[in-house]
Amino acid sequence: MTNHWIDLQHSDCILIMGSNAAEHHPIAFKWMLRGKEKNGTKLIHVDPRFTRTSARCDYHVPLRSGTDIAFLGGMINYILNSDKYFKDYVVNYTNAPFIVVKDFDFNDGLFTGYDKAEKKYSKETWVFEKDAAGIPKKDPSLTDPNCVFQLMKKHYSRYTLEKVSSITGVSREDLMKVYTDYASTGAGDRAGTICYALGWTHHSTGTQNIRTMAMIQLLLGNIGICGGGVNALRGEPNVQGSTDHCILYGNLPGYLKMPVASLDTLEKYLKKYTPVTNDPQSPNYYRNYPKFYISFLKSLFDDKATPENEFGYSWMPKLDDGTPYSLMHLFDAMYKGTVKGLFSVGTDPAVSSPNANKVRKALEKLDWLVSANIFDNETCSFWKGPGVDPGKVKTECFLLPASATMEKEGSQTNSGRWVQWKYKAARAPGDAIPVGEMFIKIIDAVKALYAGEGGINPEPILNFKSDYINRNGAFSALKAARQINGFFLKDTIIDGKTFRKGQQVPTFGMLQDDGSTCSGNWLMAGSFTTDGENRMTARGKDDPTGLGLYPNWAWAWPVNRRILYNRASCDINGRPYNPKRKLLEWTGHKWVGDVPDGGWAPMADRENGKYPFIMKADGVGSLFGPGMAEGPFSEHYEPFESPLSKNPLSSQLNNPALHVFETDMDKTASASDTFPYVCTTYSCTEHWCSGALTRWQAWLLEMQPEAYVEIGEKLAHEKGIKNGERVKVSSARGFVKCVAMVTKRFRPFLVEGKTVHQVGMPFNYGWLFPEDGGDSCNILTPSVGDANTHCPEYKAFMVNVSKIQEAG
Amino acid sequence: MNKNELVKLIDTTKCTACRGCQVACKQWNEMPGLKTRNWGSYQNPPELGWNTWTLVRFQEYVDSKGILKWLFRKEGCMHCTDAACVKVCPSNALYRTEFGTIGLHASLCIGCKECITACPFDVPKYNPHTDTILKCDLCYDRLKGGELPACVKSCPTGALSIGKKEVMIENAYTRAKELGGDANVYGDTFVGGTHVLYVLGEKPEVYENLPARPAVPLTIVAWKDWFKPLSLIAAGGVLIGSFFHYITHGPKDTGGNSDQTCKGGGE
Amino acid sequence: MIPKKGMIKVSDTFERIVHWCLAISCIVLMLSGLGMMFHSFNFLAIPVGGLKNLKLVHNFTGLIFIPSLFFAILVWWKEAAIFDVPDDIEWIKCAGGYLWHVENPPETGKYNPGQKAFFIAVAVFGIIMIISGLIMWFPLEFSASTVRVMFFLHALGFFVIFPFFFIHLYLGTIGVPGSFPAIMTGYVTRAWCEKQCPKWLREMEENGTLEVFGEEKPAAEHH
Repeated sequence: MTNHWIDLQHSDCILIMGSNAAEHHPIAFKWMLRGKEKNGTKLIHVDPRFTRTSARCDYHVPLRSGTDIAFLGGMINYILNSDKYFKDYVVNYTNAPFIVVKDFDFNDGLFTGYDKAEKKYSKETWVFEKDAAGIPKKDPSLTDPNCVFQLMKKHYSRYTLEKVSSITGVSREDLMKVYTDYASTGAGDRAGTICYALGWTHHSTGTQNIRTMAMIQLLLGNIGICGGGVNALRGEPNVQGSTDHCILYGNLPGYLKMPVASLDTLEKYLKKYTPVTNDPQSPNYYRNYPKFYISFLKSLFDDKATPENEFGYSWMPKLDDGTPYSLMHLFDAMYKGTVKGLFSVGTDPAVSSPNANKVRKALEKLDWLVSANIFDNETCSFWKGPGVDPGKVKTECFLLPASATMEKEGSQTNSGRWVQWKYKAARAPGDAIPVGEMFIKIIDAVKALYAGEGGINPEPILNFKSDYINRNGAFSALKAARQINGFFLKDTIIDGKTFRKGQQVPTFGMLQDDGSTCSGNWLMAGSFTTDGENRMTARGKDDPTGLGLYPNWAWAWPVNRRILYNRASCDINGRPYNPKRKLLEWTGHKWVGDVPDGGWAPMADRENGKYPFIMKADGVGSLFGPGMAEGPFSEHYEPFESPLSKNPLSSQLNNPALHVFETDMDKTASASDTFPYVCTTYSCTEHWCSGALTRWQAWLLEMQPEAYVEIGEKLAHEKGIKNGERVKVSSARGFVKCVAMVTKRFRPFLVEGKTVHQVGMPFNYGWLFPEDGGDSCNILTPSVGDANTHCPEYKAFMVNVSKIQEAG
Repeated sequence: MNKNELVKLIDTTKCTACRGCQVACKQWNEMPGLKTRNWGSYQNPPELGWNTWTLVRFQEYVDSKGILKWLFRKEGCMHCTDAACVKVCPSNALYRTEFGTIGLHASLCIGCKECITACPFDVPKYNPHTDTILKCDLCYDRLKGGELPACVKSCPTGALSIGKKEVMIENAYTRAKELGGDANVYGDTFVGGTHVLYVLGEKPEVYENLPARPAVPLTIVAWKDWFKPLSLIAAGGVLIGSFFHYITHGPKDTGGNSDQTCKGGGE
Repeated sequence: MIPKKGMIKVSDTFERIVHWCLAISCIVLMLSGLGMMFHSFNFLAIPVGGLKNLKLVHNFTGLIFIPSLFFAILVWWKEAAIFDVPDDIEWIKCAGGYLWHVENPPETGKYNPGQKAFFIAVAVFGIIMIISGLIMWFPLEFSASTVRVMFFLHALGFFVIFPFFFIHLYLGTIGVPGSFPAIMTGYVTRAWCEKQCPKWLREMEENGTLEVFGEEKPAAEHH
């Protein structure tokens, strides 16, 4: 989230799209309801399904799964054509005026630079014209035909109401209703926000879904303001915290980059990832990348990391260049027999991963499997699953009992980046210990083996700092948290202020690239004060701005800033666009309000002023985003499995940069009569993710006892299926049996002149327990994912549904 | 009016059917979760039961304008002022608390099930394992301890609130007015006023299992309010009448009841 | 209360057993019902150890009441449920002389219309009590509206039977002296009989079926 939960109430219009906020963020959803109740916030739900969220919104607009970009592209087209964008903001705070090189082009679904064989883009033409000083050329009048604004206008002009309606299955009236309501926030004194979740990420175009909305938010001037932002609703699993601490394979803590093999020296690595700008007004905060990275290395290897040994850079594991290591890729490698062992910690991929049959087969090929969980689950017990002969499975399986979240101390980070410390509330049963303790004990044992017997590549093992065990022999989350925050490793004087060795680093601005500081995650620097006070335990209820920022409640990264890019809430002179919701104000010599995104003067001061988007090399928001795998602008592509054989917008059917798996278990069926219905998957309120934790809970199971498929009344009628009957849902990859829930809440779409039915299934069930609860819907889902993140396309694929003729 | 009277307000227009209340109720009251099947609805268990004192009902409804609505209604004891269950309870197991709510001494319950039949809202449920009925007592123990009922405590959206009767009634009407349209307040105008009020988004008739005009059943009134006193009066009347008959009219002369007259006395 | 020579037999052993089964079960039902119906009579449950037991007593006594009533109807319906026109009407007009002085009240058969009315009331409302009681015992098997009507009927039955019981008690004892032995020993005095059931007495004598204590049974001779 750029903003935070409490801030949602300040929005004038909340677009909930790709999210079922009421069901999956029930506590947080109250802030949206509060906005509706107290401030007249309009709540709009755009989603293939009518959910409990829809029930509480002003209105619900159903759209066909996987057509969000078409829907939003139509909104961009509307905003640009009807002059609904916030001009002052767009000109000053985005790259709309930037001139793109002449060679850049877009033709029939493809941008320039596409390599068909590699299914990859080379991005040479996705760049800006630069002046003699190396600064991007701009046209503040936004009229240059090659400026981002004009290119964008041209690109999205194809997203006419007719076209969008035909692709998405949304009526033109409904499209216009959403477009006009949402675009009304493109004024300085109005705020609109987007709340999205897995409904956007679980697509082969997931990243571009979000980017398209980010573009809309920039056009409407909704980024950096109170009640605005692009807000990913992240859930109970501490998703925000785990992402901050690098749950994704390409990341290191704090979103630093995982080294790749070709970057074989620290110098090459730092050069690659440290952005440069020639524009003196761009803060380009990532210029400090080396400080963050070297402090990270120091946190791993402590005094073993020295300038002479590149701070241990050579000990860091390296990814193969251009090779993804996502969940799907890992299971593909296991299936092919190249990965031999798996640690499955707090996960149940046999239920939650796409193409679960392939996943389960892949597990059979492992030599060993270590599961750490609070209960047994379908992954750990795959060897006795349906259709598996335990006698033939060679995999050696271990289940390490883990303590549950309330049985351990530590921090949890909510969507608003608030890092809140929590204490252990109950003793873990039996031998269960925190996962952190497991890892420390394992690495200590491995170290001991290396010390005693030696081994391959001993340095990273032996030099790894792992002293996070307290006097009682238990894992100390506090000790680890202090290391994550970082320390001064020697007496240091910064801006005349002396910091002694051993003091905590109070902010990432103090981190050094000479090895004199360490920080396990630069974003977390400041979670402790210099004197060691844990700011994550703060519970102050004071609210100086009156906007619910609560700066003394817990601590938010970065540097306790509650709303990111907040300098963009003021005009170039630092005057708030919306005086009623004054997030920040420049008093002439300093900013007052939230912790500003850098204390520099506003950008009208050509001498000392800086642009507001400090993490971008150019200092402005990217309407033109060359960082993406499939294009600097978003484009509608059909889901990998689609009811259509042709993309209504171009001859490029799917995302051109998709990575496709090709084993015998990766069957697909697009636009096929055998699998004619669009299916989407989701969770229900009553269960949590794979249900591996909640299915054992009788109160929850009682409410949602078994797998079901939601089917519209019309389709059910066609297929002779009655409510509550058992049906078989099948895809090219397998089938599951479950209960049909016939509902008015699913209605067919009119797409390209034909009726397209959509059905939906929750993914909370597995064969292990309850025994008659049905199996995972991920037996049906395809292993294909987003081109940037490889997040699987759980939300749109093709199935058939048929009635089960129960024998006798 | 009782100053301690409390009213729980259920604003169905704020409910997201998260069912936190349903679980919190079971947790606090230590009721088990039982085996269910998916019967084609989110609503589960399908109805209130001895282990389910509150249930969120899910109802798909298309209004007169063709707009699809998903109505959520937390069902449970309405805590009537004129409570049919208390009226029929032979053992005082059901009783009125100082908060105006209807409490239950399960240990006094004799399992006669009369309250089950009498309740206009179909609330009390019979537990065959203990041969008693069970129902919501609005967390009487928590109220006594100055705590919110478990359901109210668990509600994330503010759909549930509890407070002084007058205040809650006012809140309910304010909210209904704010919502406009068919929104209405349900509960204060019948059975002497309930201690659970709804703000309904639609007319009461629209909701499944919700009587539009609930009342203590006439047969229960006839039984408890008419026949009960009348039978005593009649029996008492007979006794008194017999006495006066005896002393004024005297016993009937049946030819004497002495042994002497027994033979041929009447000839 | 030993019968004496010359007394007339008005009830046989079976009749007396049926009467007392019915009477005792009825009394138990009334007392236990009273104990459950009125909180102020809850104390009636003390001897059986609580209301839950009282409910059991009530329900299972009902099971004794059912055959008792069945046999009662079988035994008495001819004599006590059929009105004798026009004599009974005349009797009703003067209330049989029970309420005010009547020189010569109309003669009646074995049971006068008052007794007949009581019998019919017991029979009709007894059946109602049985049916409604059984349904109330298993209310979950029936719709609430059905059970609610049963509540009404059960209460109505009580309202009728309860006062009638006291009338019966009074007239069967001190109100009509000499009556009580009729249902205890089965024998009453001839004088009582001539007052209470002259027509019946005459008929019996004409038929020669009258049984008199201490005399040979005439019945055998007639056969």
